[in-house]
Amino acid sequence: MNAAHDELKHDAAAYALGALEPAERAAFEAHLATCAECAADVREMRLAASALPHTVPQVSPPPSLRARILSHATGSAPVTSSDTPRPALVVHERRGLPAWLQIAAMLVIGTGVAFYAQRMQARVSNLEAQLQQAQTLVAAAERQTLEARNVAFRAQSAMGVFAAPDVARIDLAGQPAAQMARARALWSRARGMVFTVSNLPALPPGRVYQVWVVTAQAPVSAGLLTPDASGGGSVYFETPVDILPPTAVAVTLEPAGGVPAPTGAMYLVGKPSPL
Amino acid sequence: MVIWLFAAVVGFPGRSSESQAEDQRSLQRAASGDSGGLGALYDRHGRAVYSLALRILGDEGDAEEVTQDVFAQAWRRASQYEASRGTVAAWLLVMARTRAIDRFRARRVRPEGRVQDDAGLTLQQLPSTTPDVASEMVAAERGQRVRRALDDLPFLQRVAIELAYFEGLSQREIAERLEQPLGTVKTRMRLGLLKLRDALVEVQP
Repeated sequence: MNAAHDELKHDAAAYALGALEPAERAAFEAHLATCAECAADVREMRLAASALPHTVPQVSPPPSLRARILSHATGSAPVTSSDTPRPALVVHERRGLPAWLQIAAMLVIGTGVAFYAQRMQARVSNLEAQLQQAQTLVAAAERQTLEARNVAFRAQSAMGVFAAPDVARIDLAGQPAAQMARARALWSRARGMVFTVSNLPALPPGRVYQVWVVTAQAPVSAGLLTPDASGGGSVYFETPVDILPPTAVAVTLEPAGGVPAPTGAMYLVGKPSPL
Repeated sequence: MVIWLFAAVVGFPGRSSESQAEDQRSLQRAASGDSGGLGALYDRHGRAVYSLALRILGDEGDAEEVTQDVFAQAWRRASQYEASRGTVAAWLLVMARTRAIDRFRARRVRPEGRVQDDAGLTLQQLPSTTPDVASEMVAAERGQRVRRALDDLPFLQRVAIELAYFEGLSQREIAERLEQPLGTVKTRMRLGLLKLRDALVEVQP
């Protein structure tokens, strides 16, 4: 059991994150049933993991989803609005009534119809106003959804680079200006590029680091980078459709705001490693 | 220690345990066939469930279907919910993650087969004395705090955690992607989660 414990105790985090493969999971659960230490550890890991759903951008689902869920789940008819029953407009023809009574009835009905038509008219314009208001709300909600979706999509693409089948690695070495600096870029034509760097020197005032994807045509800016206190930072670059494969990735020091083509000293450079 | 952690993490223990109590009442109504109970649960957690599914799948249509599945299952299995194993909110979000990852993986070619499918939350044998308090953190500002803690993690700790939780990769696959030894990936995940937990605990001085 102690041998098992020493081997399995490192799996608690992956277990809480759902990242064990079936055989690993079975082994871990079997051990867990007998090990109070690992059980306590898993509880801590789960506590942290269960906070992860709350880190994603919160997006409202379309309003129609609620009714669909209720009617689908309960198997009942879709929920309808509580409209007042539509008044039936029925004109009974009564045979054999005296002519005056028929005329009087027509008058009464005529007045009634006119009154009813007027009421319907008011109701229709009222509904139209409500519809317009609802449409405005829907448009606003759609805009909001789209924005949040873009945020979510960007986050997902940055992670997606790591999961991309065509990912290529580019290690960058520090140049004389920054000999301690190291960086790595992961490039996928479809998913973009993730660039991470460590040990960059602090920026002089009015300057910024700029990351370049060098292609057979020209260097393309992949973004600006202001390192954190320890000289680290990362950049996510969404690859344009028409970009050529990179022959190198480089970092230069440029005026704040960046420049369209590199002008300053080169701090890091590296070529793609052969796959 | 557990009680202290509970108080520390929740921040507003009264309010959070109240909302769990309210969720349980709604679930009991649903279990007895009252669809109003399901509607109330949807009103409180539909957005979080949908947002998680959207994050994993990146497609509104798929996220809506996952959300619909989650609440359909909550309706069918309302009577099987056990409070000792976590809050209602955590229960719904685990179902959402499981379904979304399943759907996501079905879109990919995966010869190795499925990995663990419910983030270890179906664990009956764990003697649990406290609800899954972190999942109570539905309030936006608390979500942001966790987001910041996640963003502050060293890059590879964060990436390992996100690849596992949101992309459904196994720790072996993550090790391959990051070109790191498996042991290193395990350590990074663990350190990252410990820091997240510490950030949760720091909520209360």
